[in-house]
Amino acid sequence: MTVPLASYLLVALILFCIGLYGALTKRNAVIVLLSMELMLNAVNINLVAFAKFGAFANLTGQIFSLFSITLAAAEVAVGLAILISLYRNRRTVNVDEMDLLKR
Amino acid sequence: MMSSAWLIPLLPLAAFLLLVAFGRQLKESSAYIGILATLAAFVLALGTFLERFAAGAENYYFAFQWLTFGNKVIDMGFEVNQLNAMMLVIVTFVSLLVHIYSKGYMHGDERFPVFYSYLALFTFSMLGLVISPNLLQVYIFWELVGVCSFLLVGFYFYKPEARAAAKKAFIVTRIGDVGLFIGISLLFWYVGSFNFSDIFTALQNGAMESWQITLVGILIFIGAVGKSGQFPLHTWLPDAMEGPTPVSALIHAATMVAAGVYLVAVMFPLYQASVDASLVVAYIGGFTAIFAASIGLTQRDIKRVLAYSTVSQLGYMMLALGMASVAGYVAGTFHLMTHAFFKALLFLAAGSVIHAVHTQDIFEMGGLFKKMRVTGTVFLIGCLSIAGIFPFAGYWSKEEILGAVYNKGHLGLFAVGVIAAFFTAFYMFRLFFATFTGEAADDTKKVHESPLVMTVPMILLAILAVVAGFINTPGNPVLGHWLTETMAGAEEAHHAPFWISVVATLVSLLGIFLAWLMYGKKSVSRGAIAEPFPWLYQLSYRKYYIDELYNNVIVRPLRVFGEFLTMVDVYIIDGLVKLVAGFTKELGHAGARVQNGQIQTYGLIAFLGIVLLVIGLTFGRGYLG
Amino acid sequence: MSGQFVAFFILSLLTIGGAVFMISLQKVVHQVVALAFSFLSIAGLYVMLEAEFVAVTQVLVYAGSISILMLFGIMLTRHDAHEDTGRGKFKFLAFIVVAAFFVLVFMGIQTMNIEGTPANFSQQNNVLEIGKLMFSQYVIPFEIMSVLLLVALVGAIILAKREADDK
Repeated sequence: MTVPLASYLLVALILFCIGLYGALTKRNAVIVLLSMELMLNAVNINLVAFAKFGAFANLTGQIFSLFSITLAAAEVAVGLAILISLYRNRRTVNVDEMDLLKR
Repeated sequence: MMSSAWLIPLLPLAAFLLLVAFGRQLKESSAYIGILATLAAFVLALGTFLERFAAGAENYYFAFQWLTFGNKVIDMGFEVNQLNAMMLVIVTFVSLLVHIYSKGYMHGDERFPVFYSYLALFTFSMLGLVISPNLLQVYIFWELVGVCSFLLVGFYFYKPEARAAAKKAFIVTRIGDVGLFIGISLLFWYVGSFNFSDIFTALQNGAMESWQITLVGILIFIGAVGKSGQFPLHTWLPDAMEGPTPVSALIHAATMVAAGVYLVAVMFPLYQASVDASLVVAYIGGFTAIFAASIGLTQRDIKRVLAYSTVSQLGYMMLALGMASVAGYVAGTFHLMTHAFFKALLFLAAGSVIHAVHTQDIFEMGGLFKKMRVTGTVFLIGCLSIAGIFPFAGYWSKEEILGAVYNKGHLGLFAVGVIAAFFTAFYMFRLFFATFTGEAADDTKKVHESPLVMTVPMILLAILAVVAGFINTPGNPVLGHWLTETMAGAEEAHHAPFWISVVATLVSLLGIFLAWLMYGKKSVSRGAIAEPFPWLYQLSYRKYYIDELYNNVIVRPLRVFGEFLTMVDVYIIDGLVKLVAGFTKELGHAGARVQNGQIQTYGLIAFLGIVLLVIGLTFGRGYLG
Repeated sequence: MSGQFVAFFILSLLTIGGAVFMISLQKVVHQVVALAFSFLSIAGLYVMLEAEFVAVTQVLVYAGSISILMLFGIMLTRHDAHEDTGRGKFKFLAFIVVAAFFVLVFMGIQTMNIEGTPANFSQQNNVLEIGKLMFSQYVIPFEIMSVLLLVALVGAIILAKREADDK
C-alpha cells in the first residue's frame, strides 16, 4: 500500500496556494521571490508525482523537474540582481513602493 | 420731391454710419455731420410737405416685393400722405433744432460723437416709422425707436439711476410691444396683408367681424399705450428723464412718444369701425390726462413735471382720437403737432436752466428771469401755450379737442379734459413762478444765459409755439380740411360752441392765477392745500404709489419666481449634470485606482481572472460538480 | 498504517509547516530559514517518489544555493521590520481569490481519475536512466538550458554591477 497520488497533489496545492498568497500580499521583495520559489517547488512535486503515478508513468517528469529547478536557480539569480539594482536606486525593497508602472 | 421722400430717413442713417465710423476722430465737430444731415432731411421733408399740401396733390406710394411665401407677399416701401407728410416735417424740424441745441448742451462731454450718432439713429428710425406704408415696417422701426430710447436714456450709464431708467423704459415699453405684435399678427391673419391700404379696404368690405376689429384695435392700442406712456404703462416716461435733456426734448416729448399717437392716428379707420375699441382709447386717454396732471401738481423735479405734463398731453391726444370722429382725428393730430413744438421748447428751456444752475429741483431755483431773459421768455411762451391761452398754439388745439369731445356727447370726459386743463395751467405756472420769479435760493452761484446755439433753437420753437395754431383756427381750418380731404365724412361740422373756448381759457387763467398766488406773490402759502389733506399730497407726490404697486405686485413675485427657477436650475438641472459628471468621474477614479502601478494588484486581478475563467470553463462544461 | 504513510505525514507536515512559517514570521532571515526546512522536506518527498537524483538536486540547488543566495540578498539590502499596515482589504481579497482557487483545484483533484499502473523506478539506477534520457532524447532542451544559465549569469552580473558613474 503506497501513498496515493492525491495526497502528493494536495500537498503541492497547499504549497502553491501559500506561495501565491505570499507573492500577492508580502511587501518585502525578497519574500515575494521566496514565495515564487515555493510555487515552483509545488509544481516540481506535481511533476515528480506524475512521473511515478501518471497514466504513462516514466522519467520525463523527473527530467522536467530538473529543468524547472535550473530555471528557478536562474530566476532567483536574475531576480536578486534586479532587486539589488533597484535597492541601489530607490533605497527600498518594498514592493508597494515600486510603482514605476504608473509613472 | 414726393418720389424722393425715401431719402429723408436715409440721410440721418448715413450720418449715423459716418459717426460710428469716424466719430472718434471727429470729436465735437461730429455735431456738424448730424446737423447737416438733419438739415438736409428737413429741407427735403419741407419740400415733400409743400408738394403734398398744394391743391390737387395725390398720395404717393412706392413699394417693392420683399418676401413672398405662398400667395402672401410682403412689401417694403414708403408712402407719402397728409398725415405723415406733416409728421416728417415735425420730426425733422424738432430733430434739427435738438441737434443744434445739443452742440451747446453736450459741449465737453466725453462721448459727444456717440451722443450724436444715437441722435442720428433715432431720427432715422422715427422717420422710417413715419414713412412706412405697412404695419410690419412700422413694427421694425417701432422697435428700433425703442432701442434708441434705451441707448439715450442710459447715456449716462455710469449713474445707477440712468441704468435703471433705461432698463425700465425698455422693459415697460416691451409689454406694450407684445400687444402690438399680437395685434399686427392677428391683423395679418384676418386680412392677409400688412399694407394699410389693404387693411382699410378689407375693413370697408366687411372682411373682419366686429369683435375681431375691436380685439385688434385694443391690441394695437396697447402698443401705443406702452410707447406713449399712457396709464398703466406710463411709469417709464418720468424715469426716462435721467437721459440728457435734449434727448428728453426729442424723444420723450416731441417725437417718440408721439409714435403711439401716430400709430392710433394711422389706424384711425380701424377705430372708426369699432366703437368699443375707440371708447377704450378715449377713456384711457382721458384718465391718463387727469391722472398724470394730478401727479404733476406736486413734483419738485423740473423735468419730471414736464414728463408728467407730456403724459397728460398725450392722454389728451388719445382722448381726441378715441372720439372716432373726423373732428377728433383732426384735433388729435393737430395737438400732436402743437405739442411737439411747445413741449420741445419747454424741455430745451428746462435744459438751458439746468445747464445754468446745475440742479433740477425747482425750489432750489428762483429769480432766474433777470439772469436768463431769453430762456425765461421762451419758457413763459411755452407755458402759456401748453396752458391753452389765446392766441398761443396750445389754445387752438386744446379747444379743438374739448370741442370734439363735447360734440360726441361724452360729458364726463369733457369735464375730465377741463379739469386736466386747469391742473396743467396750475403746475406749469407753478414751475414758471418757482423757477424764474422770486428770490434766488442760492445767490452765490454764477448764473448766465446759455450760448447762442442753445437759444436760437428755443427762439425758433417759441415762434412756432405762438403761430402754429393759426394753421387750423375754427374759422379757417386749413390743416383740418387738408388732413381729412380724402376721408369719409370730412364735411362733418366740427365747430364747437363758442362757450367751450371761453370756459377753457377761464379755467386755465384760474390755474395760472392760483399758481401766481401761491408761488409768485406767495400770498397763499404753499401748504394751504396740501396741509389739510396731507395724504392727498403724498398720494400725488408719490405718483399714486404706482411704482411701488408694480414693484410689489409684479416685480417681486416675478423675482421670487425667477429665484425659484434659479434653484431649479442650480439644484435639479445642474444636479443632474453633476450626477452624470460625478458618476463618470468616480468611474475614472475607480479605473485609476486599479491602475495604481502596484504589481501585486495587477497580479491579483490577473489571477482572479484566471480563477473566474477556470470556474466558468469547468462548471460551465460540467467537468466538476 | 505503514511506515510510508508515517513518513509522508511527517514530511508533508514539515513542508507545509515551513511554508506557513515562511509566510507568518516577521524577520526576513527567519523566513528564509523556515523555507529552507520546507525545501529539505520536499527533497524527502522526492525520495518517497523514487526520484533520488531530483531529491539530491533539490537539496543542492534549493536548500543550498538558493537559500544562501537569498540570505546574501537580504544582507545586501536594508529591511525594516515593520509589517504591512493598511492593506487589510487587499490581503482579504487575495485570500478570497486564493481560497477560491484552492477549492477549485481541490475539487479537481478529488474527481480526478487516472488509469494506469504506477511506475516502479526502484528496479533501475535512477541517475543512469536520467543521464541516458538527458543526453539522448532531451539533449536540445539541456543545451538550451545551459545557454539560459549563461544568459542569466551575464544578466545578473550586469544588473547587479555598480554603474560606472554611480558613486
